[in-house]
Amino acid sequence: MKIAVMSCIHGNYEALDAVLRDIDQQKAEKIFCLGDLVGYGPFPSNVVEMVRSLDIPTTQGCWDEDIVEGLNSCECSYPSMLAEKRGRIAHEWTNEHIYPETKEYLAALPKVIKEDNLAFVHGSPQSQHEYLLPELDGFIALERVLSTGADTLFCGHTHVPYVRTLDAGNLRLLVRTGVEVPEAEMREFNAPLKRIVNVGSVGEPRHGRPNATYVIYDNDSDRVTLREVEYDYQKTCAAIIERGLPPIFAWRLAKGLEFAERADDASHLCERGV
Amino acid sequence: MSMSIATSTPQISDDPPAQVLAIAGSAGIGKTGWIFQQIEQISAPVVYFCPSAGNVPIDPTCLAAEFPNVQIFADGQELELIEQVEQGAIALIELGFHLDLRSGNMLLETLAANSVLKKIALVPSGLTNSEWHEWADQVIEVKYDLDFYDLQIWRSPFTGQVFDPSSLNVLWYEITQGAYGEVSRAKGIFDLFDGRAFYLDFVTGKEDSLYLPLDLPLWLDGRPERFSGIEVVGRNLDGKAIAQCLIDCCLSEEILLHYQNQIKQSRQQSRQVAA
Repeated sequence: MKIAVMSCIHGNYEALDAVLRDIDQQKAEKIFCLGDLVGYGPFPSNVVEMVRSLDIPTTQGCWDEDIVEGLNSCECSYPSMLAEKRGRIAHEWTNEHIYPETKEYLAALPKVIKEDNLAFVHGSPQSQHEYLLPELDGFIALERVLSTGADTLFCGHTHVPYVRTLDAGNLRLLVRTGVEVPEAEMREFNAPLKRIVNVGSVGEPRHGRPNATYVIYDNDSDRVTLREVEYDYQKTCAAIIERGLPPIFAWRLAKGLEFAERADDASHLCERGV
Repeated sequence: MSMSIATSTPQISDDPPAQVLAIAGSAGIGKTGWIFQQIEQISAPVVYFCPSAGNVPIDPTCLAAEFPNVQIFADGQELELIEQVEQGAIALIELGFHLDLRSGNMLLETLAANSVLKKIALVPSGLTNSEWHEWADQVIEVKYDLDFYDLQIWRSPFTGQVFDPSSLNVLWYEITQGAYGEVSRAKGIFDLFDGRAFYLDFVTGKEDSLYLPLDLPLWLDGRPERFSGIEVVGRNLDGKAIAQCLIDCCLSEEILLHYQNQIKQSRQQSRQVAA
């Protein structure tokens, strides 16, 4: 069975529409969405309505959480003061333009979805805000997958798609069972092959082109296909300006650059848990 | 600091030896770089004047940092400049691309009355007829691919403002890649939180922007009281948006003092360890 996994739509309805049409052409039987339906883009409520109307299983993204809980950006979020200011403008705009029932829907989204040997999260199983970058330390990456009990972990959040295979790992742990027992016990076990699949971003790509990205996963062949979909991004750019968002968002979208947030420190781990 | 220029090392002829060198040319063609090269070759005292630099004296500030012995004059100090030349100094006068070449005539004619004046124009190679050709005593052709007609200039001082480096990096990329209009040339001096001042320089067609730390004392006590500012040259420039973005990149008083205290403490600890 083919499943489609998409993430980080960010209020870009044109991109979502194009991706859904492409998914249809790829004959995927099920769609999962990894959150960040809103934020930066001009049509947050329309995107949520579409995802909701198609009954797409969706995890909560960091932007979805912030719109519900109030902006609570941690140090994972913004690489610069300028980015933070732009993020705040986008947050306030989205907050003003989103319907109450949309917020309710976002608030009810789960943080992790499990299906068979697959797990779906926005950032990482630890936090919607944590970036699982391709260069993340192998042990930590393996721990994140193991914590879900799945073999393949689908995530988004970085907006740059990748597939990372974690070869069968041999883990050796020194375990102290109690203070009365001075000797530590060495335990050793083998972790089976695990995989992290980052599905990129539908509405705010960061790969230098404006095209939307998502992933098709065939669970019969265990094959992952990264899809890059062209769409009329100029329509979204025009809407960004018409609807009163900063014009620089339109320029950055057209260039395939991030609007404001960018992860570049693979060693940084989010300190707030789920 | 070493200033790179867009030229193929243009040289002037030696005869007759000029005491006043006036240089003109289009934006980003390498006038200031040419002047840097000349200063390095002159053993006599040098004075420099860039008319209408106004409250955005980017080139004079760079020159002062690189050549502390060069005396720099601003608008309104023309008489002192003339006096220095009469006393034997070599004068280098840089006419910005946006100035009417005739605007400096009165000063140049006054200087020429008692000194040998040479007017030099840096012009795009292949250009055979222009106001620079009519004006100059010597024309130096330079490889230059920009369309230099109908250029607009936007500039702003921001002395006292201190920039977050990551934000400045984003802003500079956006300015030079056309987010706020078609940019042919951009240059600026920016104070950073660690006390350093950087000169940033961009010319369309060149691969990368130049990022050069200026040879100035670290400023770690409050807001810098030395010049910083920006000049952008191009078409359809959205000055208001650039200005807003610049403001968004600047540190608040509280954050600036926090960083400065951290750096001072760190420097003090390093000194104690060294002692």
